[in-house]
Amino acid sequence: MKKIVALVLASVMALSIAGCGSTSAPKAGDKVKITMWCIATESDSNRPAYDKAIAEVTAAHPEIEFEWEATENEAYKTKIKAAAAANEMPDIFFTWGGAFLGEFVKNGRVYCLDDAYKNFTKDLPEAMLGNTTYDGKHYGVPLTMNIVGLFANMDHLNKVGYTEVPKTYDELVDCCDKLVAAGIIPFGCSGKEGWCVTEYIEPLIEKQIGAAALSDVFAKKASWNNADITKAVNTFQEWINKGYFDPSGIALGNDEVKNNFMQGKYAFYQNGTWNCADFAATDGLNVQVTEFPVMDSSKAKLGQLIGGPSDTLAVAASSKNAEVAANFAFELGKAICHYSYLSGSGLPAWNVDYETPDINELTKTVAGICNKADAYVLFGDTAMDADTAQIYLDYIGKIYGGEISGDDFVAGLTKDIG
Amino acid sequence: MNKKVKNGINVFLFLLPALALFVGVLIAPIFMSTAYSFHDMGPLDKISKDNFIGFKNYIELFTSDSLNFPLALKNSLLLAFFSVFIQLPLSLGLALLLGKGIKGERGFLSVFFMPVLISTIIIGQLWLKIYNPDYGLLTRALEAIGVIKEGSPIIWLGDKKIALAAAFVPILWQYVGYHMLLMYAGVKGVSPDLREAAMLDGATDSQINRYIVIPCIKPIIKVSVIFAITGSLKSYDLIKVLTDGGPNHATEVPSTLMINFLFARNRFGLGSTVAVMLIILCFFFAIVVNRVFRRED
Repeated sequence: MKKIVALVLASVMALSIAGCGSTSAPKAGDKVKITMWCIATESDSNRPAYDKAIAEVTAAHPEIEFEWEATENEAYKTKIKAAAAANEMPDIFFTWGGAFLGEFVKNGRVYCLDDAYKNFTKDLPEAMLGNTTYDGKHYGVPLTMNIVGLFANMDHLNKVGYTEVPKTYDELVDCCDKLVAAGIIPFGCSGKEGWCVTEYIEPLIEKQIGAAALSDVFAKKASWNNADITKAVNTFQEWINKGYFDPSGIALGNDEVKNNFMQGKYAFYQNGTWNCADFAATDGLNVQVTEFPVMDSSKAKLGQLIGGPSDTLAVAASSKNAEVAANFAFELGKAICHYSYLSGSGLPAWNVDYETPDINELTKTVAGICNKADAYVLFGDTAMDADTAQIYLDYIGKIYGGEISGDDFVAGLTKDIG
Repeated sequence: MNKKVKNGINVFLFLLPALALFVGVLIAPIFMSTAYSFHDMGPLDKISKDNFIGFKNYIELFTSDSLNFPLALKNSLLLAFFSVFIQLPLSLGLALLLGKGIKGERGFLSVFFMPVLISTIIIGQLWLKIYNPDYGLLTRALEAIGVIKEGSPIIWLGDKKIALAAAFVPILWQYVGYHMLLMYAGVKGVSPDLREAAMLDGATDSQINRYIVIPCIKPIIKVSVIFAITGSLKSYDLIKVLTDGGPNHATEVPSTLMINFLFARNRFGLGSTVAVMLIILCFFFAIVVNRVFRRED
């Protein structure tokens, strides 16, 4: 009896295991399933654009069954790397250009988009593909481009006699001194997320040493050992010591700091221009945006910006429907770009062939700044490989925490990076 | 085939699924991590002769100033110390008090155990709000009683000198209820006859606890000590939510460092080395605690 029971149980187990593993080949007329991972969570500035773009593109492709999910920015980086390691990536995935995507490309995880791009050359200028091109091949669909902008709460600036955002470095320092004297905190910056500190330090360094020099440093073509970098970093620390920064910021995440700015706690907030949509949509918030002023006019000038096209969609090499996914990614990328631009959460990496009557003033200002751009330097932590970027961010954190001086910063990075 | 061999085959066959699962999800990953730890590889690389580096990852882990592993290890050992010498005595005290059968015993039990049931992420968010320098409960309370001046708040999680202590408080608080419940079950399991006999002999409550109850629940205390130490070494979630290892690595623990190496730095070999070190340390402390308790017996 026991043997019979054991046999029956074993048969049931074997059948259930076999059942789990069964697959059926797609029949003709079946929908093609495409999956996508991205960072457009509910609280992300780009979410409305994604929602609209996905609705539009999926409606145009009833033959595609599209599933997507969004994960918070920092967690997403871990998730996509883990998926890549296991070779279990979705068909389409959000990525950043430069070294981040480069790592996947180097390891053969990304589908080459050269063929698919041929259908979109009229709409997407090749110049926008620089950060996603490796060995002359295209691997990414750029969505929007963003730069670091200096956002100013004009209500606070008015209180200290400034009717427009300071245009020169001396004016900015004077404005900050007056704000501190009036009991208003000039800057808010998250210390919990290292990239937020780079949004302050990188423009400062760029406007001290110039875009080409900074670009060379990020690309390891030039050393960090540069007296002007020391000067710029010391200036940043001097600002901290003069009370220009909210001391609480070191323990806060970016969302909290951004929210503080929107609630009127700070006079300035220097961060990506993807924030334009949120600031423009906040009732009662009187904000203007500009680029960080020049510190040393013999080496840098206005129009040298931190940023560029970095937000990207890519297609996994492991995708069973890579060709379909590639075309879909281009169409989706174009639509996301369209709606992001209209909503003010980014500047277009794609050609604008539509009316733009409702674009908010902040985005228009940023577009104006970009129209006069002289050079773009990609965000440092995106331009560098992952290990180098973490070393760099560690030093950035030490500077913000006041643990090291500008000299230590430069000496340390020279020793550890070059 | 004799009956003994047949039975042996049957036992093996029935154990096979569980064995496969055990090997697949526990033993194999440990072996894989150990193998990775001897290689200089990214998450997308494969093990090969070219990236074999022997013990270099282990040496780098303990000698590099920039990796902060010794600091992370020190932090988690400090947490283990506080867990054993603050959290567990507190849990034991509560277990003895409730085990005596006080009024509202069940209610208290539920209240103390509640933090264990709540998601760690929620607890982290709760404590982030308590510690918030602008509107946090702690800052406001200290301002109200005049300990700190209004407008100069303490940055609990942003000041290197106090961030670690501030991060430890919620961790210790969350698991008091867990250890209390383990010990409470032990206290309730002590025979009432023993208590009554001691009472008849004129023993006080503290004498009963010291000479009867605590020796009886020693095996449970041992388990709690092992859980507290290994839990401290593996701590991750609350640190991740509260400080993410910051400010400037002040609250780093091996697990946060491991995730950083694996996924932020793309150094899979180095991250695996931290994983192996954690496994070794957990086993080491479990054996030490066992030995200490055995010697006591």
